[in-house]
Amino acid sequence: MTRWIRQVGWRHLVAVVMLVFAMVPIVFVFSAALNPLGTLSSSTLVPTGASLGNFGNLLGGTAFGDWFLNSVVIAATASAASVFLSALAAYAFSRRRFRGRRVGLLSLLLIQMFPQFLAIVAIFLMFSVITDYWPPLGFNTWWGLILLYLGGALGVNTWLMKGFFDTVPRELDESATIDGAGHAQVFFRILLPLVAPILAVTGLLAFIGTINEFLIANVFLTDTGAKTLSVGLWGLVAGERDANFGMFCAGTLLTAIPTVLVFQLLQRYITDGLTAGAVKG
Amino acid sequence: MQLDGPVTARQARPAEDARRPNPFIKIVLLGLTVALAIWAAFPLIENEAWIGLAILAATTAGLLHLYLTPRHVPAKYLVPGTILLIAFQVFPVLYTASTAFTNFGDGHRGSKAEAVVAIQTASVTQVPGSTQYALTVATTGDPATGPLVFLITDPATRQVRAGDAAGLRDISATVNSAGRVTAADGYTVLTTGQASLRSKEITALAVPTGGGAIRSSGLSRAYEGKAGRLYDESCDCVRDTTTGRTWTADEGLGSFVAEDGDRLAQGWKVTVGLSNFTRVLTEPAISGPFLRTLVWNLAFALASTGGTFVLGLLCAIALHSPRVRGRILYRVLLILPYAMPSFAMLLVWRDMFNTDFGLINNLFGTDVDWFGGATSARFAVILVQLWLGYPYMFLVATGALQAIPGELSEASRIDGAGAWAAFRKITLPLLMVALTPLLISSFAFNFNNFNAIYLTTEGAPFPADNPANGATDLLITYTYRLAFGGAGAQYGFAAAISIFIFVIVAVVSAISFRRTRRQEEVYS
Amino acid sequence: MRIRTAGVAAALTCAFLVAGCGGGDKDATTAAKASEAAPSGELVIWADDKRSAALKPFADKFGAENGVTVKVQAISKDQQTTFVTASQQGSGPDVMVGAHDWIGNLVQNGAIDPVQLSAEQSGGLAPNALKAVTFNGQTYGVPYALENLALIRNTALAPKAPATIEELVAAKTKASEKLCVQVGQNGDAYHLYPLYSSAGGYLFGTTVSGDYDPKDLGVGKPESVAAFKKIATLGEKGSGALKRSITPENSIATFTAKKCAYLISGPWAITDVKKAGIAHDISAVPGFAGGKPAQPFLGVQTFYVASKGKNKALAQEFVTNYVTTPELAVALYQAEPRPPALTAAFDQVKGGDPDLQKFIDAGKNGIPLPAIPEMAAIWDPFGKAEAAVIGGADPARTIESAGKTISAAIK
Repeated sequence: MTRWIRQVGWRHLVAVVMLVFAMVPIVFVFSAALNPLGTLSSSTLVPTGASLGNFGNLLGGTAFGDWFLNSVVIAATASAASVFLSALAAYAFSRRRFRGRRVGLLSLLLIQMFPQFLAIVAIFLMFSVITDYWPPLGFNTWWGLILLYLGGALGVNTWLMKGFFDTVPRELDESATIDGAGHAQVFFRILLPLVAPILAVTGLLAFIGTINEFLIANVFLTDTGAKTLSVGLWGLVAGERDANFGMFCAGTLLTAIPTVLVFQLLQRYITDGLTAGAVKG
Repeated sequence: MQLDGPVTARQARPAEDARRPNPFIKIVLLGLTVALAIWAAFPLIENEAWIGLAILAATTAGLLHLYLTPRHVPAKYLVPGTILLIAFQVFPVLYTASTAFTNFGDGHRGSKAEAVVAIQTASVTQVPGSTQYALTVATTGDPATGPLVFLITDPATRQVRAGDAAGLRDISATVNSAGRVTAADGYTVLTTGQASLRSKEITALAVPTGGGAIRSSGLSRAYEGKAGRLYDESCDCVRDTTTGRTWTADEGLGSFVAEDGDRLAQGWKVTVGLSNFTRVLTEPAISGPFLRTLVWNLAFALASTGGTFVLGLLCAIALHSPRVRGRILYRVLLILPYAMPSFAMLLVWRDMFNTDFGLINNLFGTDVDWFGGATSARFAVILVQLWLGYPYMFLVATGALQAIPGELSEASRIDGAGAWAAFRKITLPLLMVALTPLLISSFAFNFNNFNAIYLTTEGAPFPADNPANGATDLLITYTYRLAFGGAGAQYGFAAAISIFIFVIVAVVSAISFRRTRRQEEVYS
Repeated sequence: MRIRTAGVAAALTCAFLVAGCGGGDKDATTAAKASEAAPSGELVIWADDKRSAALKPFADKFGAENGVTVKVQAISKDQQTTFVTASQQGSGPDVMVGAHDWIGNLVQNGAIDPVQLSAEQSGGLAPNALKAVTFNGQTYGVPYALENLALIRNTALAPKAPATIEELVAAKTKASEKLCVQVGQNGDAYHLYPLYSSAGGYLFGTTVSGDYDPKDLGVGKPESVAAFKKIATLGEKGSGALKRSITPENSIATFTAKKCAYLISGPWAITDVKKAGIAHDISAVPGFAGGKPAQPFLGVQTFYVASKGKNKALAQEFVTNYVTTPELAVALYQAEPRPPALTAAFDQVKGGDPDLQKFIDAGKNGIPLPAIPEMAAIWDPFGKAEAAVIGGADPARTIESAGKTISAAIK
């Protein structure tokens, strides 16, 4: 028994304690979403009602379906492309030695340090021209926003992936090179499968980051039908005086669904990658 | 086609290798790139944007060169992301940084020419005692291109006159009850739809009269207006047409200034040198609390990063065992805080910390004024960050644990090392190789975590004697308040402060980055 | 090998070139055809989420009647800044909907144009609404709704309207909170202003012509110190009528949950109050006993013509000749029950909604919310001073340092 506690029991304990911490605000949001009054001060931890009215209002009274679709398409495309782009860059930073490598890495990090709220002006500057010249990439389009998000793809994810590429023994690709494989083959055939868990994790993180992005999407998407979930949801509580809290919570919960589904989809890669079962507790 | 474009450019690169079995993919992708470039070129040519066209051509040629020759292998991997990075991150940052040397902000956003137009337009008033006319927009030629004529009807006499830049002349026409012309010999009346396509010309058309000019007010009414203020190029000043008062352009301030110091509201953007920077250093309201804010900012970033890392790693390790039943469910539930939109949850947390109505005080039966005291407010915002951020570290650490070849830790177990020792000696160092860069970037993110403060405490609590700087203010929220909370938006000033912050973070990050060199070479 | 690759690439490029050109030409032809079929300009209107929803049907109607396309877009956050920034770069709307206190800032940025109303049109508007949108002698925009704070009370919990704030504090009630007036962690100058003015404070003095004078700042003056001393008596260390835990998010909700006997809020709160089925009455915000009258700010919701819009003539047509018709004003009232600024529309709806006249009466003492750009410097420091004083800070020191911060910002 003590052996069980030492080897497995503590794991449950940690998980349960963390679950309580994780779930309290979510249960609160859940109760508020079910609360027919739909106001903040009437919300408690335990649901006081079980009405789906808030969900009904949300789906019937707003363009929630459009927002949902926009968010999922934008986040899925942008995150997939971003993972690919940053994997490429991470390969170069991890495996290749070239001049300006470390400076490049550091610059990638530092470029993120500039406050985004200042960049809004420059974004308007650029996209006003782009909208005039190439309307399919302009304001209120999926592709314009995706491109804009991809500008940041290298920033965060390259750092993340480079760290993982570093943990893959170099002997693996070196021996492949000796066997006559080119760099592309090493990258696609050897490295990428080995870091599949990380690709999955990065993809998920990028997906969440994109679906939650608000600041840029708010100025970029003004057509009601073009908005994403975060912008649309903000609109629900933007008046500050509105008591749309229940609908807002319902929307928040629904927003989490695609993320959870993507996680479920990727969990297989994250936990049952090549190394599955190799580590015994 | 434009859809595939960006993807194409990226995918083209890895296909470079000559021994790769399928050069076809590469060719298709490069072909798509070229096709995309051609598509993009047309509007540039049409608008005679030659510089843009040159950049496009050079970029395309560069890409073709890069992927059709075997050299520059690292560049093949870096270029696709870098092009996007330069266009959508580097350019905005450089543009923003450049505004630090200007007075760019509310009242000084555009060019001098724009300011002059705004001043003159804003000064146009109806000539006293003049009539308002019913307006019909007509043309003597084709509705889409012919010269525009205003047909104006005097409401009292119902006399119709035709006016253009040459002046007014009486004509005969059929008018409806509202006084608008329905037909007139020699003129084609424009429908609202047709007129709306020529909006710019209509707005620009002023029919000269003795006292001023007839202008349109919309598409159905016209009035006789007179500009109260006019720009005079000879003295580079704005003159009031009735009082004769002048405001002379001051290129240092970007404003028209009268002799008594009175400024016209509409100014323009000018270069102000380093004055935004000296303002940061010399204004006591800024330099005074700067150090205190910096210290708290560092503490916040460290606590958020370190705290989430410890929590996330703990969860990851706890669930990193096939013997834990239900670990799939655990994992899904544990990442939920990250799956919820963070801005929404920040707002929810803010409400949960409410003294009288908040869930936290209700649950624990306490009466803590969370955001009212410096310590409790700081504790609260860090707690919120832990909640929001640990799933990120949990995910990353889970991935990292999976990526560590199991043989390594197994080998150490066989060597007889205890579980803890094996973790500390084998697993943790390997994890750190993978995670240190991430911790640095997470630190950098948290250092500038605007929403974490702006959507919760907004910097509160504020000392009674300084409403500009609160106990939970980060440098970035502090900057925001200084630049946008006072006299409108002051982008130039905000950019200057951002450059200061940037330098600080750069130094901190660069120092910690140096330490990663050692780890990076573990396998080399 | 390389030569062959290059050859294939060249061939493919040519193929794409042809395809590209062909596609482009086709698109261009289709576009040209479409514009031939329905030649029309486009009008873009920006508003916040709620109003854009209400505007949509009328915008569509205007579009159909006039053969133009009208797009209504919702900006969810930072409407004013987004409008100015977008306008400057040429991506802004033709018509903007917003509060009248934006005017000063919009004018200094050259973002809006004055409108020329006929005597008949301006005569149809409530005089104080017209006054609010007049800036430097010009009319900037067409007002469509009025708003001001009033005291809303739950008649089950508080049957009688108090004449003074002291009376309100002394009244016995079953509710756990007496008064709901939003303060929040960082204060709310707009909602405090009636009490502040009743206690003798002011924000800006006025020039001889009646305009606000940014050179005469009232915050930090002895009057403001005296006013904040009075306000402190209502604070958490005093009678507790004002408290920071009542926030913008929860003040109305707390009232509708019957936890508050009185609410200081505006017409926007009424929808929720009615939805919650609360028997209510509306009266003027009471002032301090023996003090000056409590003056709420008058706010006016306004349609602006954007200076840098692509279709200004059409925007002027919409704003001056369509917004001034009662139909639209009534519809906007139905979307959110603020008293219409158009007298004809107000008369049309007041019969069915007694609250409207009560709000107008409650705003009798009101003064227009200052539209000068310097007002932007007031909100934040003033609100924080309010929150600090309500939390128990020393009134004199707090408001004086707020005054210093404000005067440093406006110079």
